[in-house]
Amino acid sequence: MHAIEDRRDGTLYCCAATYAYGATVHRSPDGGRRWERALEVGLPPESGLALERTWHLRPGPESRPGELWLGSQDGGRTFQALPAILFHPTRERWQPGAGGMCCHSIEIHPAHPDTLVIAISAAGAFRSEDGGDTWTPINRGVLADFFPDSYPEVGHCVHKLLMHRQRPERLWQQNHCGVYRSDDGGATWIRLDENGLPSRFGFPIVIHPRDPDTAYVIPEEADVNRVTAGGRLGVYRTRDAGASWQLVAEGLPAPAWTGVLREAAASDELEPAGIYFGTQSGSVYVSPDEGDTWIEAARQLPPILSVEVTWA
Amino acid sequence: MGVVVLLPSILAAEAGGRSRLELEAATVDEALRALPVADLLFDEHGRLRPLVNVYVDGRDIRDGVGSDTPLAPGATIRVVQAVAGG
Repeated sequence: MHAIEDRRDGTLYCCAATYAYGATVHRSPDGGRRWERALEVGLPPESGLALERTWHLRPGPESRPGELWLGSQDGGRTFQALPAILFHPTRERWQPGAGGMCCHSIEIHPAHPDTLVIAISAAGAFRSEDGGDTWTPINRGVLADFFPDSYPEVGHCVHKLLMHRQRPERLWQQNHCGVYRSDDGGATWIRLDENGLPSRFGFPIVIHPRDPDTAYVIPEEADVNRVTAGGRLGVYRTRDAGASWQLVAEGLPAPAWTGVLREAAASDELEPAGIYFGTQSGSVYVSPDEGDTWIEAARQLPPILSVEVTWA
Repeated sequence: MGVVVLLPSILAAEAGGRSRLELEAATVDEALRALPVADLLFDEHGRLRPLVNVYVDGRDIRDGVGSDTPLAPGATIRVVQAVAGG
């Protein structure tokens, strides 16, 4: 579940689903006072699939107003399925994760808007150089040890993937099976969680808006014990591209056994950068100084599904 | 033929705040598909969503009435969201 502001025109978008009435995308042109839902969201009959949830939205580039990934060309009023990924030849080797089959990460190359990187659980990461007409799996070096072949072409359980805007060939991902970095657009991946993280498992990853070597993760104990690692709410930061990680937890509670969902963390573009996340226990934490210190900005909310930065 | 459709509050909000709509329809199916919230009642393949219950004059359409059954003049169609959870 994801909510976002389109900075091109200030429109708010929210992925929403109800158990009775299905899934759609809502849009608000006036800061959230009025909402309207997209009327055409669904999967084509030949797919044999029905849409259960909408997960993630990414506004297109400035040069393409109305483009909203995946699948809308009219500012989120209607969405069309992308056959090249929906019917990808590797699809029979995909399987849904615990949250269902979901495309939760959509990254657009800042200089070449036809270059896209997406991540699907549990299918893996895919790259397109032609605006989504063809997709290539990019999972080399990424572990998937729930298969007999632990390094398959597809089937990986990516939890979150991000592209660095200043160095777009640099990708980061938090995976079910580790934390990884790619310096070649996803062609190869380097595993990083063994360089000082308490576990390989977690959901969100946040990257610094300017420094491509700085990233943040919030590890959980394990897939079979989905609470924050070490009995504390701990953010781990790397300043050296994942060669080492340091716990940055001044102001964060311990003991604590909570969790942070994949869409529930973000960074801003200030100097120094602000880092934000929300917990499944209903607290929102803010670091105004790149993780050095943390402030609990809100508490006693429902489980936090989505955190994004916008400007009032 | 004039019939009445009653919507639960969450659908009424999506139908411009109207919980009671009067419209012309020969069958339940025709009436539901004419609603401004038809996309919430039916999935993208035109199937009534499984947790949407529909009653015609108090009878569940899945319990013998059927969505194709002709409606009597003045029939009342009530849409009810199934209850889930504890």
